[in-house]
Amino acid sequence: MTLCPACGSTNIEGVDYCDACGQTLSHLDLPVPATEVEKSVTRDRLSTLQPRAAVTCGLNATVAEVLAMLVAHSLGCVLVVDHDGQLVGVFSERDALHKINCSAAEMADRPVSELMTAAPQSLHCEDKIAYAIHKMNLGGYRHVPLIDEQGRPTGVVSARDILRYFTGLLASNAS
Amino acid sequence: MDFQLNLNSETVDHAYLGQPLMASAETSLREVLQILREQHQGGILIQKEDALVGIFTERDALRLMAADAKGGQVDYDQPIKNFMQTEVVSVADKTTVGESIRVMSEGGYRRLPVINSEKLPTGVLTVSGILHYLVDHFPQVIYTLPPKPRHAAGEREGA
Repeated sequence: MTLCPACGSTNIEGVDYCDACGQTLSHLDLPVPATEVEKSVTRDRLSTLQPRAAVTCGLNATVAEVLAMLVAHSLGCVLVVDHDGQLVGVFSERDALHKINCSAAEMADRPVSELMTAAPQSLHCEDKIAYAIHKMNLGGYRHVPLIDEQGRPTGVVSARDILRYFTGLLASNAS
Repeated sequence: MDFQLNLNSETVDHAYLGQPLMASAETSLREVLQILREQHQGGILIQKEDALVGIFTERDALRLMAADAKGGQVDYDQPIKNFMQTEVVSVADKTTVGESIRVMSEGGYRRLPVINSEKLPTGVLTVSGILHYLVDHFPQVIYTLPPKPRHAAGEREGA
C-alpha cells in the first residue's frame, strides 16, 4: 500500500495518482539511494569524470589508418562520424581483434565502415554516472561515446574512468 | 560504511573472475589470435612447463596488426614467446577486492591474473568483472534507472 503524502488515504502500490485527491504519487516509487556511493553515482554527472576528448575518423578511413590511430593515441576505440560530423559507429580494439585478427595486411585498405560497430549506445556529458555504469555492465563495453544535442561526439567515457572515480570516492570516504 | 567494509574484507575471487585462458610459449601468434577470437577474450596467459612466463593482450595484438597493416611484415608463425610481455603483474587469490582495484587502477591494467599459493593462475580479474561486482552492491539505483537519462513528457497528460 502507498500512503498519499497529501491527504493520507491509502492507494494500491504503484499507482500514478492518489485515488482520493488526485495528487501525483509517481515520485514515491523512485529508488532512494541508501549509501554515499549510491548517492554519488546518481548525483554526479559524466562531465565530472573529465572524459577524454573524442578521437574521430570518417567513414572512408582505412583499416590501416584507424589501427595506427589506436596505437598512436593509446586509445581503446575510435569514433566513426559521417560527413555531418554525427556519430555513426565505433571501432574498438576488440573489433580489431575479432574482425581483423591475423589478416591486417590483406584488410589494410578496407574502409572502417565495413568493420565498425554501427549505431553504438551513447550518452550525454550531463547524464549521471549511474547510466554509464549500467550500459557498460549490461553491454559489456569498456567505452561509451558522449554526444551533444546534434549527435556529434564530444568525448568517450571508459571503464577505467569509472574505476578511477570509485577509487577516489572510496579513498575520500575512508579519510 | 558497508560497501567500504566489503571491499576491504572480501577477497578478489568474489569479483567475477574470468576463466584464465592459457597457451604454451611455443604456440604460434596465429593460433593465439584465433584462440582469442574464438573464446571472445582480450588476453591470454602464456606458460612454460606449468609456470606463468608471460601475458599477451589485445593491446599487443593491436600493435602487431597496426604494423602489419602498414606493411611491416609480421610473421604470424613465430611462437608467441617473441611477442608476449614477460613482466606479468598478478595478485594472490587472498588479496582483497579493494586492493586489487587499486593495483589495477594505478598500473592502468585491464586484466590481472589471480594466482593461488602454488603460483598457478586460478582466474583473471577484468575491468568488466569489477564493474559487475560494484553494480551488485547497489542494484537498487542501477537496475531501476529510468529508461532514458533525459526524460520529459512531451505534453501534459489529460489536461
